[in-house]
Amino acid sequence: MVVLRAGLCPGLTEEMIQVLRANSVRTVVDFVSSDLEDVSQKCSLSYKALVAVRRVLLAQFSAFPANGADLYEELKSSTAILPTGSPSLDQLLDSGLYTGEVTELMGAPGSGKTQVCLSIAASVSLGLKQHVLFLDSTGGFTASRLYQMLQAQAEDEEEQAVGDTALSQLEALQRIQVARVFDVYEMLSALQEVRDRLSQQAVSCTGPLKTVVIDSVSAVIHPLLGGRQSEGLAIMMQLARELKMLAKEFSLAVVPTGMQVELDIGNSDVQEPSPATPTEGL
Amino acid sequence: MRSPLPPPPPRFRAPLRAGPSAARWRWGGGGMQRAVGSLPLGPALRARLAAAGFQTAQELLDTGPCGLSREIGISKEEALEALQVVRQECSGDAARTAGGAGTTRKCTALELLEEEQAQGFIITFCSALDNILGGGVQLTKITEVCGAPGVGKTQLCMQLAVDVQIPECFGGVCGEAVFIDTEGSFMVDRVVDIAAACVQHCRLIAEAHQEEDHQKALETFSLESILSHIYYFRCRDYIELLAQVYLLPDFLSEHSKVRLVVIDGIAFPFRHDFEDLSLRTRLLNGLAQQLIIIANDHKSAVVLTNQMTTRIGQSQSTLVPALGESWGHAATVRLIFHWDKSQRLATLYKSPSQKESTIPYTITPHGFRDVQPPAVTQNTESTEMNPRKRPRREEEK
Repeated sequence: MVVLRAGLCPGLTEEMIQVLRANSVRTVVDFVSSDLEDVSQKCSLSYKALVAVRRVLLAQFSAFPANGADLYEELKSSTAILPTGSPSLDQLLDSGLYTGEVTELMGAPGSGKTQVCLSIAASVSLGLKQHVLFLDSTGGFTASRLYQMLQAQAEDEEEQAVGDTALSQLEALQRIQVARVFDVYEMLSALQEVRDRLSQQAVSCTGPLKTVVIDSVSAVIHPLLGGRQSEGLAIMMQLARELKMLAKEFSLAVVPTGMQVELDIGNSDVQEPSPATPTEGL
Repeated sequence: MRSPLPPPPPRFRAPLRAGPSAARWRWGGGGMQRAVGSLPLGPALRARLAAAGFQTAQELLDTGPCGLSREIGISKEEALEALQVVRQECSGDAARTAGGAGTTRKCTALELLEEEQAQGFIITFCSALDNILGGGVQLTKITEVCGAPGVGKTQLCMQLAVDVQIPECFGGVCGEAVFIDTEGSFMVDRVVDIAAACVQHCRLIAEAHQEEDHQKALETFSLESILSHIYYFRCRDYIELLAQVYLLPDFLSEHSKVRLVVIDGIAFPFRHDFEDLSLRTRLLNGLAQQLIIIANDHKSAVVLTNQMTTRIGQSQSTLVPALGESWGHAATVRLIFHWDKSQRLATLYKSPSQKESTIPYTITPHGFRDVQPPAVTQNTESTEMNPRKRPRREEEK
């Protein structure tokens, strides 16, 4: 629902917009779905001009149907599979983390989500030599533990035997960028910044970014949920949408972590786990 | 800045453009393309903006305050305020994209590693506990201590409030402490005992090593200075506690040497007399985020104590930390203190860098100590006998 503005396309002038608004045509959707003959009569604008504007607006704002085969080819060429650092987890995920997808880790406190996130960061940075963005909202990121994992992974791989393994580990550490965001708006800003950097394709310190790990999403969302306000849900959906768009548009693997909340229903022993995480409902 | 408009396309396109093909009208250019839903505006305002058809921050800024107030029917002052918020957010984004540091806490893992290695720990005087924690209580993290009543949580808090002030030449962080008490269990005379023992310990080390800076540090490290650097707050209910925590950043920016914030009894004000459980969860989670911001920004350790509650299972009941599972995610490091017949044990339950283990500890008249005296010792505290042989009622708290 984009508001009509002057300059949105050539031929859409300010006077036109004022006249259209007077006749309750305010957004692109209104314009495109209205009967142009009717509008041209009511607003006394030229029909040809309106048709031209409509064509341009349709070209700009509509989605295009795509061939299934083409989609498949594109997917095959643009998707990468990233190792998580643990072979059994890779097997569970069908050989690893897929770019273009949001893979979520959920679990009780102390179950190891931060450890898996660190392991993913280590393996992508050391093994594939690619950049990783780690958004930390709990303060659980411990660089010394990450260094331990890098050392362990470097020992496993025999190709690293040549030359300075220590240097390669330090380089791997440099490829992992850590941003500490403790508030949901800070997290949204950080994601926006990633998107700006990637869409400008600036060769900055981020380099070839393929993975975004977010530990944890529920820590910033949970203070807003509950109560009688639905504002928390709106922000949650906004964040979920941002994550999915990042993954799809820029072919990133996005890994948020969340927690599971157990709801006690009455006196029975059965407890129903209810995930309070952003991909719920998508 | 805008690329030329594409000609009207044929009906089916092949092949698809890879990369940012969706939403082509969102041209790059700083944080201007931020969606309205992600800006920190009030929910009523956001609902009106969505109904009026505004989608990105750029559109808001283009419309201007007069146009905005006309479109969505709010007063000009409100529109101006909203636009100021939007402008601030977007300029912050643009500054960050351009490479400026801004207020964002962003760095590479290598820099963090160097920072961590240079950071000190707050020792607990119980070397076994320090070992399982990886050196002691870590700065910039939240450590939670849970336990049944009487097991020694407040003792540990008082010990840490003294230990944080140990000068750097003796292996401490030379900081000050904030003690927020909700249960009223802070006993000053006990702190005097602990502090006196700590000063004595340092004096013995100085005598053994005979170095210049040790002597100088000892001059400032006395009982009076220790007590004067513990800032004590008493909060009687949860509202006072929340207010205190939200006012803490201002206090900490005035007292920049504070390296420890202790909240003794975070469960107490939230457990009794609280009807709305979802409100409690919200408040607790907001509190957790506020505490982690404080820990991070002011490079201090936050130590919380929690109570235990009983979870009634199918065949048996277990003691678990109170305040629910969602609170379990708040603390970075979690220690559970419990009894094993007459021996006190500490279990490291959750830590991002250390593995789970259990060690015994004891409380002596001098404070929180190991069960056995440490191997390389300079102290002559002969009262630290193995208390395992002593019955419980002889232990003095």
